[in-house]
Amino acid sequence: MTKVLEIKNLNKSFGGIRVADDINLSLTAGRVLGLIGPNGAGKTSLFNLAFGNVKPDSGSILLNGTLLDGMTPHQRARCGLARTWQHVRLFPSLTVLDNILIGARGYPGEHLTQVLFRPSRLAAHMKGSLEKAYGILERCGLGSAAEQTLADLPYGRQKLVGVARALMNDAQCLLLDEPMAGVEGQLYSIMQRVVREVAESGVAVGVVEHNVAFIRDLCDEGVFMFAGKILARGAVSDLIADTQLTELYFGT
Amino acid sequence: MFDLVIIGQILWTSLATTSYLALFAVAFALVLKVNGIFNFTQAAAMSVAFYTAYSCVQIFKLPGAVAFIAAIVMTLALCWIIEITGFASLRKRKASSLFVFIFTFIVSQFASYVITLIFGTWSYTIFPSMFWNVHMLGELAISAWDVPAMASALAAIMGLFAFLRFTRYGQFMLAVSDKPDLAQFYGIDTRKVFLLTMLIAGALVTLGMFLFGTRSLVQPRTSMELMLFAAVATIIGGIGNLAGAAIAAICLGIIQNASILFISSEWQSFLLYVFLFTTIIFFPEGLKLTRKLKVGATSTRQLPQTQLKPQAAAERTE
Amino acid sequence: MEFIYLIIIVIGIYVILASSFNFVIGYGGLLSIAHPAFFAIGAYTAGILARDLGWSGWITIPIGAMMAFCCSIVVSLPALRISGDYLIIASIGFQLGLIEVLKNLKITGGAGGLSNIPAFLVPQIGSAGYAALVTVTALLVVLLLRYVAHGPYGRAVTAMRDDEAAFAALGRSPMWLKLWVLALGSGIAGFAGGIYALYFRYVTPEQFDVMQSNIILTMVMVGGMRTTWGPVVGAVLLEILPQAITFLNLPPSVLGPLQGIIFTSLVLIFMFVRPGGLVSAGQHWHGSDYGPARRVP
Repeated sequence: MTKVLEIKNLNKSFGGIRVADDINLSLTAGRVLGLIGPNGAGKTSLFNLAFGNVKPDSGSILLNGTLLDGMTPHQRARCGLARTWQHVRLFPSLTVLDNILIGARGYPGEHLTQVLFRPSRLAAHMKGSLEKAYGILERCGLGSAAEQTLADLPYGRQKLVGVARALMNDAQCLLLDEPMAGVEGQLYSIMQRVVREVAESGVAVGVVEHNVAFIRDLCDEGVFMFAGKILARGAVSDLIADTQLTELYFGT
Repeated sequence: MFDLVIIGQILWTSLATTSYLALFAVAFALVLKVNGIFNFTQAAAMSVAFYTAYSCVQIFKLPGAVAFIAAIVMTLALCWIIEITGFASLRKRKASSLFVFIFTFIVSQFASYVITLIFGTWSYTIFPSMFWNVHMLGELAISAWDVPAMASALAAIMGLFAFLRFTRYGQFMLAVSDKPDLAQFYGIDTRKVFLLTMLIAGALVTLGMFLFGTRSLVQPRTSMELMLFAAVATIIGGIGNLAGAAIAAICLGIIQNASILFISSEWQSFLLYVFLFTTIIFFPEGLKLTRKLKVGATSTRQLPQTQLKPQAAAERTE
Repeated sequence: MEFIYLIIIVIGIYVILASSFNFVIGYGGLLSIAHPAFFAIGAYTAGILARDLGWSGWITIPIGAMMAFCCSIVVSLPALRISGDYLIIASIGFQLGLIEVLKNLKITGGAGGLSNIPAFLVPQIGSAGYAALVTVTALLVVLLLRYVAHGPYGRAVTAMRDDEAAFAALGRSPMWLKLWVLALGSGIAGFAGGIYALYFRYVTPEQFDVMQSNIILTMVMVGGMRTTWGPVVGAVLLEILPQAITFLNLPPSVLGPLQGIIFTSLVLIFMFVRPGGLVSAGQHWHGSDYGPARRVP
């Protein structure tokens, strides 16, 4: 079982608030890890630390053995890390299809020399990307939404687009930040299926979620965070059954 | 080769002339700190201040004190208009930083053209003569301009620091500079704070231009150059650090003036651009040594975003 | 008739300048006012090489463009490494500073300007021919920028402008993208500079100062930012407008600032009344890198 993402002894404080307190965590290929805990426990901060949006006070993060410390977010993404955002953060000027297309790791067309001097290569590459993007859209049940703009899209479907965009990235490690928040009904089961499929394809998935059912159905194991610390880890059902943790969760 | 007296003279005179440079820098830094924007309209305010004073003295033959008051009134009026019709409106529509930048830049250009149309491109000083009595202190020549200039600039800056530390609105300004959203939740009227900041900056630059214009020649493009100097000083001093901006302005001013010992005068103005690029390359977050003297220190040092800070919550529902 | 050709050439040059500036500031969202500085670099480089080394315009104009391209990288790299906002200061400094340098260097002719630049093409094909060539070139530049802006490059630039952090999380570097956008736009401005210098054969530092920044900015704002034809409309309109004013026979000391006032007022008015410009851009980016037969079964 390969450890794809390893977080070692991570510490971070903002002013007097500890958002990461000696965190040791790893994400394994093909498995889904759930991060649960009350708001302000430091779950999203962990994602930000992993991605380099925030610099840790101490500790290190490795992706497939490569040390990520000092790398900018885009460099880490290049190494095989992808994420979705709590507030979706799609690109409003682009259609759904374009939002997905831009999710891919890179295009020859994003280099000026290729654009100017080798346009035929762009067309060939685009054909492949388009097929892949449509495939992902179908898998996510968004096939009919390709040409739509974000203004027309309900929130739940926007979240799906966010996940689809991350899927296009072919990352080895996927961090999902509250994917189920605001998602109901049919979309819920689609989201579940998609995340399960992604994990089965060998990606290491980490999910921050408040939706207990989702965590229980989907996550292979869980981690309970509170005030920046990991208080407990283990099988999700055990974590949920623990009354002390439940008190902490709802008590705050 | 370097006569000690000459060096001493140059240093003294440089120090005296940095009085207005410090005022411009503090004004620019203040608006950046509290309102969160690179206020390039400051050049417009500076031009208005000078040309009002000049007109009063040389065209309407009024005494200097009246000219100063008139300059303050006109400059504050301009700052008021810019803030209320310009920045407030841009804030309301959540204009992008690009738009804000274009606005500030174009306003100062507009002012520059209007001034050129009215006054032409010749150089002027506020009073007909820019020569002041000189007292000799040993072999050092001290102009009657020097001490009053330094004293008034110092008084104005200290007054500002006292205002920020000891008055209610001063504290509001610091709160808004630190965390604008939070300030609103505590009931601080951010619109009033933003306006106040612009007015204070306007007053500072009026004093600065009055000092400058009683000693040096001014053309329509002078204020743009002086403002750029203020911007560089602000960056070197550290964003959010008013005392740092003032000290940086003083140091840069002395270096620029003293450089006459080493380089010819045409290249002196070019020195500013050397400072600018050196700062951007090596000291984008300012020189660390000015940290201790921060007034109203912000613990989370952020790099500037020209995004305007949000206005009162009530307006946001529009 | 000669006068008409002159106007056409000037409009053509401004179309190139406005389109490239639109690419930088409209598509790239880059806060830079140093476009005239790169225009100047192209003009002076092409002019000096043509005059002092006798090289043909076919060589000196592209070299001028390359020079502008490289200078833009050197200037923007330190600023962009920090943040896009530092680019403002760097660009203002570069714009003002370059004019100072041009005024003081001997090789550029100092404040007197660079004169006696040899003629290029005009003796062979006449002003009419040059005007036609400039028009075609301007059109090609507009179409080139359109092609870049509506392809995958444009998609990336648009995404970056929308949300830089989300864009970076997809494995792209916003900094480098901004750098290349600025470099391409500046290189094209340098190219226009070469065309300008080798036609007018005399350039002075004043022709490239901040007034030009206002003019080009006005063309883009009034014409319509982020559109293909907006800058073209802006360039045509705003070149014809000052010509109309010159018929009022005002003294130059009034004419200069008056033009400036008109340009800046137009920008301010459009900013608040019709921010999209005359040819408004749509809300959304439209790609043209996939054709009509898109649906893959």
